Amino acid sequence: MIEVVDLCKSFPTQFGLLPWLKHRGRLPRRTALRNVSLEIGRGELFGLVGPNGAGKTTLLKLIASLSIPDRGAIVVNGIDAVQHPMAVKRQIGLCIGEERSFYFRLTVRQNMEFFAALAGLHGRAATQRIAEVVKLVDLAQMTDARFDSLSSGMRQRLSLARALLADPPVLLADEPTRGVDPVHAEAIRKLLRDELVTRRGKTVLLTTNLLEEAWSVCDTVAVLNRGAIVTSGSPRSIAARFKRRLRYDITIDRLSDALLARLRAVGGVNLIEPESLDDGVALRIDLEPSAHTLTDLLRALSANGTLVRDLRSENLRPTDLFGEDEGPSDGA
Amino acid sequence: MALSSALAPAAALSSGSALAKAMAIFRRDARLARSYPAAFWLQWVGIAIEVAALYFISRLVGPSPLFGVGGRTAPYFNYVVLNVAFVRFQSTAIQCFQQAIRGDQMLGTLEAVLATPTGLPLVVLSAGLWAFALTALQVATFLVLAAMLGLDLHHANPTSAIAFIALTVACMSPLGVLGAASTMTFKQAGPTNFIMGGAATLLGGVLFPVAKLPHALQIVSWLLPITHALNGIRGAAQGETLARLLPDATWLAVAAIVLLPLSLVVFNRAVRRAKIDGTLGQY
Repeated sequence: MIEVVDLCKSFPTQFGLLPWLKHRGRLPRRTALRNVSLEIGRGELFGLVGPNGAGKTTLLKLIASLSIPDRGAIVVNGIDAVQHPMAVKRQIGLCIGEERSFYFRLTVRQNMEFFAALAGLHGRAATQRIAEVVKLVDLAQMTDARFDSLSSGMRQRLSLARALLADPPVLLADEPTRGVDPVHAEAIRKLLRDELVTRRGKTVLLTTNLLEEAWSVCDTVAVLNRGAIVTSGSPRSIAARFKRRLRYDITIDRLSDALLARLRAVGGVNLIEPESLDDGVALRIDLEPSAHTLTDLLRALSANGTLVRDLRSENLRPTDLFGEDEGPSDGA
Repeated sequence: MALSSALAPAAALSSGSALAKAMAIFRRDARLARSYPAAFWLQWVGIAIEVAALYFISRLVGPSPLFGVGGRTAPYFNYVVLNVAFVRFQSTAIQCFQQAIRGDQMLGTLEAVLATPTGLPLVVLSAGLWAFALTALQVATFLVLAAMLGLDLHHANPTSAIAFIALTVACMSPLGVLGAASTMTFKQAGPTNFIMGGAATLLGGVLFPVAKLPHALQIVSWLLPITHALNGIRGAAQGETLARLLPDATWLAVAAIVLLPLSLVVFNRAVRRAKIDGTLGQY
């Protein structure tokens, strides 16, 4: 459905005649994307994960024909996005991550009427469609409110509603839950996963810097950092590849110094941090990714007659994927 | 969130008629203009003041053959009111397109608009619809008020007048589209309106006849579209047929035919450049 092949994009870092003359017509550029290749199947929810500045939005804008690549190919539903941008725009709904993409002095309805018309919807069909999509993002009660009276989260949800106006087969969602409260963020994830992908068979490319978001809804995830794809695959396979340590939070009924010493002596245990609770002790534990370590640890607890009340494993951390020492990248 | 609500297929989704999209842009601009009620209503007060001022100034200047067409003597009030009223079309043409692009840049809506399957010429040219409709209304108000103070339009030739308004819009709009291309590239409105407004006042015969200029400046004046537009409008107001006004009409038509595609090509290239440089969303 979406195929990106060897995509490269750079931006000039200086503009104007003087820099142009100074650099003899070759303005210095920063690389935003380097040899990015992706293949997203029909009906797939594909997550693009990366820190700020990784190049996620740049990639979305290239697919949406709002930017032109230096090199490489983008094909959406069999259409070359560089050669036929207008045809590709008919295939795509773009949920822009920016808050500022509506007319502030117009109402929600007036904004949606305008964008519906540009998407090719008119008359009663447009009215009906607007009612459907604003209801879908829980903004039906706000249709006569001016856009500038909406909260950040509402604006974000309206952007998603706008992207769905023309019922496109492909949705590009640029951080659609940014600034959205947890309840509505979860609803957006369910909308993407259950309604759009599972029920309607749409192809969704979701960018996010929240690993848990990508891990919870995406079929496939690609990790983008400093303009390059670091890895891609199912969330589970990536976690297996990148987890440097296994982290668990275990709650037990009691902890003695002797038991703590025994637990710390278990092979593969890197760290145990106890914290007293009202009705027990919480242990934060870092283990080497070995098959036996957790079993040995639980065996030690069991041998001591300790009651294990809760055990949770912590998901992959951003630093596992992006590194501990990542500063701001040169991506866009 | 109403997840149970089905995403019904958009049955009436079409490639979208250009007319419907143009009307949507017209409605947007009208709604935005009306969202500033004070500015919207004050403009009409401004027109009344301007007409009154011209009336009193014109009482200082006697009738002259220089103010008429074909050597006929005409009052200065007729001359100056028609010029000042119709030069608004030039101002509108030059300002409206770049203001629309600048407004979309500032609001962050430019990318959202360009992400839709709407052609660039339609996006930029439709931005003039509301502006020209409003200008036409302003000019009509101007003329009605002036008629109450003595402007004589009894002999006006409506066909010639409409033809020259259309030619003026067609000839001036490309200059505005070029200004929009400049705005797309440099992220600020250029000084085109200031330059063209000044040139019209000095060289286009808005306040005084071109015949009063030195010969060299009369040649420069001939090169300005506003000179021919105002010649035609004054002629139409005095009952001249389009055939009699053919030289000015031809000048405007040729300029429009040359400039319109050129300006759209330049605008297209400016957008392409912005897409390459990644500056489409910048302001």
